[in-house]
Amino acid sequence: MSNNRYKILLIEDEANIRNFVKTLLTTNNYQVFLAENAVQGEIMFKSYCPDLVLLDLGLPDKDGLELLKEIREESATPVIVLSARFDEMDKVTALDLGANDYVTKPFGTAELQARIRTAIRNSNPFAGNANFTQGKFQSGDMEIDYDNRKVSLSGQELKLTQTEYNIVALLAKNAGRVLTYAEIIQAVWGADDVGSTKKLQVNMANIRKKMGVKPGANKYIQNELSIGYKMNIENEQ
Amino acid sequence: MDKLRQCVNDFLKTILMLLASFFICLGVQKSFGTEHLIPAIFTVSVFLTTLFTHGYLYGVGAALISVLAVNYAFTFPYFKFNFTIPENLFSAVIMLTVTIITSALTTKIRKHEKMMAESEKEKMRANLLRAISHDLRTPLTTIYGSSSAMIENYDKLTKEQHLELIEGIREDADWLTHMVENLLSVTRIDGERLNLVKTPIVLEELVDSVLVKFQKRYPKQALELDMPEEFISIPMDPVLIEQVIMNLLENAVKHAKGMTRLSLKITTKEQKVLFKIEDDGVGFTQKHVGIGLTVCDTIVKAHGGEFTMKNRKTGGAIAQFTLDMEDEEEDE
Repeated sequence: MSNNRYKILLIEDEANIRNFVKTLLTTNNYQVFLAENAVQGEIMFKSYCPDLVLLDLGLPDKDGLELLKEIREESATPVIVLSARFDEMDKVTALDLGANDYVTKPFGTAELQARIRTAIRNSNPFAGNANFTQGKFQSGDMEIDYDNRKVSLSGQELKLTQTEYNIVALLAKNAGRVLTYAEIIQAVWGADDVGSTKKLQVNMANIRKKMGVKPGANKYIQNELSIGYKMNIENEQ
Repeated sequence: MDKLRQCVNDFLKTILMLLASFFICLGVQKSFGTEHLIPAIFTVSVFLTTLFTHGYLYGVGAALISVLAVNYAFTFPYFKFNFTIPENLFSAVIMLTVTIITSALTTKIRKHEKMMAESEKEKMRANLLRAISHDLRTPLTTIYGSSSAMIENYDKLTKEQHLELIEGIREDADWLTHMVENLLSVTRIDGERLNLVKTPIVLEELVDSVLVKFQKRYPKQALELDMPEEFISIPMDPVLIEQVIMNLLENAVKHAKGMTRLSLKITTKEQKVLFKIEDDGVGFTQKHVGIGLTVCDTIVKAHGGEFTMKNRKTGGAIAQFTLDMEDEEEDE
């Protein structure tokens, strides 16, 4: 089975971090390639065609965001960005540039693995996303019927407005991935409305109210403060 | 903006002072029929103007206008300028001298006050640094010691002993992370409030985010929550405010011995949002004022809010802080 293992490229300049991530991923049956700077990373990306890239933003020779842009120009390979806690702007930029997810340093090993699994599964149409079957999305007790534009919790239909439905459906289609405010606004209201985060936040508050979720117990949609929202996939959070 | 406001303020003060002295002089001249008091009254007004305004400009301006006013209205020939009187020129020199000396003195005093505040801040920072370097040494000792012990005695240690040492390393690394987060927060606001990047955050989302983290870290600790249902948006740096709430909740979990209830209550009053973290443990003592609480205070102050920590009469501690809601006008 070893030929079937997913290939992961880790681009990170800290030797100790490279070392432990490699140990962790290798023992969990991934094939790992290591690059310690952007130039090396770019070459390895082209020669090994990895299934997923873990990209540190603070590289010595080039801005990680620059590298991300170059990768996105030629491929849709999932990229998870590794970043420091206070770089919200970098996170938003990375997501808008097409990164699939970000992990904040220091990160737990369980968290990193969960993110890798989600990103690979979402990117691979053949692996099949367990949450999608016949025009329906299912996660926990939530079901979205795309054909009839209906969202229900435990079989109980929610009375959502058109806009609210569009938001929930969009998040579900990208389940497991953080969508930035700008991305959602662009998709739901069109390009002209970029910047009206408030409108989105109010709609989101109404969605939460209709779902009847309390703070700290929202298992469906996760808040990424000042960045965006993410639909949770069952068993991943 | 503040600079402009200060200028307008100083300007108005100067005008008022001049008008007041002018009318007092008129009154004095009428009732006592003498001009002897007039230069004295103007001198006092110039002195006061200089004292209550910033810089030399207003005082000098007031002095010159006073001289002109004395010349124009209160020296013979009345209500006519006459620059040939040496007495008047002399009083101009006196007033200007008063002005310059006074503003030199007040500027000096203001500078001194600022320096005192700076040195107070310096002292606080030094204390914080001392506390931190002390607090960092403990976990570093564990991490360094345990890992060395493992490398040097790899074959002699049992599997259980290995695991125990590694667990110690992880625990202390976790604690270090925590500490570094607090430190980073302080450095982030270090250079005055200007560095703070505020974005409008929905209260409910903030609370949700904090609770998810809190439950992850302390799955066994119950937390009562009481907050308004309406949509409230607060401009803030969410990472920092999350940390304040987290620090306060953790402070209760760690230090409030005998605690049976822990609650987070949020209320609004006009444009202010009040966050209250209450417990019914042993109460708070000065001993527990660690880096965590200092950081809370700094963060809240940088947001223009107030942070207080006190004991309840019925036992237990209350930590509370306020933040300003988003202005309604800014919405559109």
